[in-house]
Amino acid sequence: MKSFHQDWLANVRNDLLAGLVVALALIPEAIAFSIIAGVDPKVGLYASFCIAVVIAFTGGRPGMISAATGAMALVMVTLVKEHGLEYLLAATLLTGVLQIVAGWIRLGRLMRFVSRSVVTGFVNALAILIFMAQLPELTNVTWHVYAMTAAGLGIIYLFPYVTKAIPSPLVTIVVLTAVAIVLDLDIRTVGDMGELPDSLPVFLLPDVPLNLETLAIIFPYALTLMVVGLLESLMTATIVDDLTDTTSDKNRECVGQGVANIASGFIGGMAGCAMIGQSVINVKSGGRGRLSTLSAGLFLLALLMLVGDWVAQIPMSALVAVMIMVSIGTFDWNSIRKLRENPPSSSIVMLATVAVTVATHDLAQGVLVGVLASGFFFAHKVGRILHIRSAAEDEGRQRRYTVSGQVFFASADAFVAGFDFKEVIDKVVIDVSRAHFWDITAVSALDKAVVKFRREGTEVEVVGLNEASATMVDRFAVHDKDGADDLLTGH
Amino acid sequence: MNKQDRKVLACVDQSRFADTVADYAAWAARRMDAPLELLHVIDRHLERGSGEDHSGAIGFNAQEHLLHELSDKDAAVARAEREQGRRFLNRLRERALAAGAPAADMRQRHGALDDTLAEHEEGVRLFVFGRRGASAETTQPGAPNVLGRNVERVVRAVHKPILTVTEGFKEPERVLLAFDGTAVTRKGVDMIANSPLFKGLPIHIVMAGKESADTPRQLAWAKDTLTAAGFEVVADVLPGDPETVIAREVKARNIDMLLMGAYAHSPLRALIFGSKTTDLLRAATIPTLLLR
Repeated sequence: MKSFHQDWLANVRNDLLAGLVVALALIPEAIAFSIIAGVDPKVGLYASFCIAVVIAFTGGRPGMISAATGAMALVMVTLVKEHGLEYLLAATLLTGVLQIVAGWIRLGRLMRFVSRSVVTGFVNALAILIFMAQLPELTNVTWHVYAMTAAGLGIIYLFPYVTKAIPSPLVTIVVLTAVAIVLDLDIRTVGDMGELPDSLPVFLLPDVPLNLETLAIIFPYALTLMVVGLLESLMTATIVDDLTDTTSDKNRECVGQGVANIASGFIGGMAGCAMIGQSVINVKSGGRGRLSTLSAGLFLLALLMLVGDWVAQIPMSALVAVMIMVSIGTFDWNSIRKLRENPPSSSIVMLATVAVTVATHDLAQGVLVGVLASGFFFAHKVGRILHIRSAAEDEGRQRRYTVSGQVFFASADAFVAGFDFKEVIDKVVIDVSRAHFWDITAVSALDKAVVKFRREGTEVEVVGLNEASATMVDRFAVHDKDGADDLLTGH
Repeated sequence: MNKQDRKVLACVDQSRFADTVADYAAWAARRMDAPLELLHVIDRHLERGSGEDHSGAIGFNAQEHLLHELSDKDAAVARAEREQGRRFLNRLRERALAAGAPAADMRQRHGALDDTLAEHEEGVRLFVFGRRGASAETTQPGAPNVLGRNVERVVRAVHKPILTVTEGFKEPERVLLAFDGTAVTRKGVDMIANSPLFKGLPIHIVMAGKESADTPRQLAWAKDTLTAAGFEVVADVLPGDPETVIAREVKARNIDMLLMGAYAHSPLRALIFGSKTTDLLRAATIPTLLLR
């Protein structure tokens, strides 16, 4: 009861106004992302309507905006090109199913391995890709297009100084459309890009053969779409959490995204996810509750039905201007300044994420590389936390090595190198009470050291294996068992 | 039992009820010899947005700018409210001590009222709060019988007795228990019998509504329990609609505190059939102790 009130009714006026602002910005974006994916604008517009409406009820983050997105559109390009729209719809349905499963098995927990640098790389790569997707509209065109785009950007950023009551992207679109019609400019319009919605969406099943061959085609795409969709959705949820100082249910969000995508697939829409730029716009406009997301979807459809004929007249240059704004607003400009301030490893992770994503047009691969790189750097850093000190005891007959720090695959070599095997001595004591053995590599490094000493005829005693290390050694070590020498030297 | 853990928690906001809440809380604390804590909950209403900017344009570092803007706004409001709240709480604390509360502490918390009370429930013996708060004065002026919108949510959120007060303090002298034989009100009888809160005051037990076969036995049990605990008891079964009967008897017998069970049914049921608790709270214009 209480959360129903909070989610839906606590902020009605602001939610409705914010929903309207968002809907106005969603129309150009949905059209632009449809063009990226290579489908008719109506596919993106139906998807945006449907996803926004469904996620308002099923999502875990009130106030977050989900719709057709660039990140997802980029993944589906080749699928659409090679197999057509029907396979995209089937892939959309499968994406939804996979996302629901991901929510059920709480895959959202894996987000903790996605470091801050990877997130920054993700948003920067996304911004760059959105910008790059506009370039075809800006190459081999007349000067009119450049002038229109520049004027559009000018209106978007300067009009708010006049009034903040009217969305400036809307003003841009209206003014540029009017200019293009009045001057009868011969430039490309939205109508040239494909079919626009002419009716309310209807339920339909994708027209694909239900066999393993189809599954083999769509599954890789659906898997990537699932990963990209959840990554951007969970990242955006965290951003909205921070902006509004509230919390969200990440697993419910995963399931919600899945349900929304399934619904979208059934009415002929493409897969989508949460949108960083639109969610920021929503919060900025005062949207907080689920009502803002719902109204954004409903206003979107209502606007299309009311002014649908005019949408075809919108010049592409107006859309390009809006998308450049989205790209600028999504990019983390501070990250450029921080490239030098941050530790080099963080900057490398960020840049690697951006580079791989821009090269592959696949945010999932970019994030994977980023996560692996962060893991690599982390292992490298922690591997340096290892100290081996030694002191002679018992009038030079015995030497005690004191090991402290972390012993695992990244520090095993340094561990072995810390011992002086050539020393002529009766007995060596290796005190590992202040060390941690993390993996089999660490254990075999200790074995190796022990065996090496024994070969020199030195007696070895290992003391102080703490509980954590002891269990590892018990399971994997060979040095205190018969035939240790044979096993390690491998005959 | 640690005495510190058995405090009276008075929830105040900056409405005209605050003084009355402090007075009743001081009265209860004095009678039970329990420490009193005055709690002021500052709800920042994070579920509400503040949007004057409908430009829909996002520029360089949009996210960071927005975060700074929103957190600065929140910080300014929080600072102002904190200082104002502190002064207001200090005044109430003096008032409660003057009214005989053995000890009075004060605390300010950020959050929603119901969440905060649920978090603080541990160690509380009795909650005291006004039927309407500061926001009700502005949204529903001149409607004395309307309940504040927090009341039901708060009562449902906690599981300890709650004293809801109306404006104006009057030392309770005659207490009426709206008894219906349910587990909640039977627990209430035990509570009265064992608590020093009503020691020495006459207790009126009223069972309203249709008489069933079980009614006389239940009423006799309640009467015997309280008589055995040393109370002067008057017990009646009165036919009629509970809401009207109780409201009428409160007036007729000059009762100044009502006890009853509260919100035993689910919120859904209350939404469909209405809630007897809410009806009674509207009808009875005297302080009411709700038993959970």
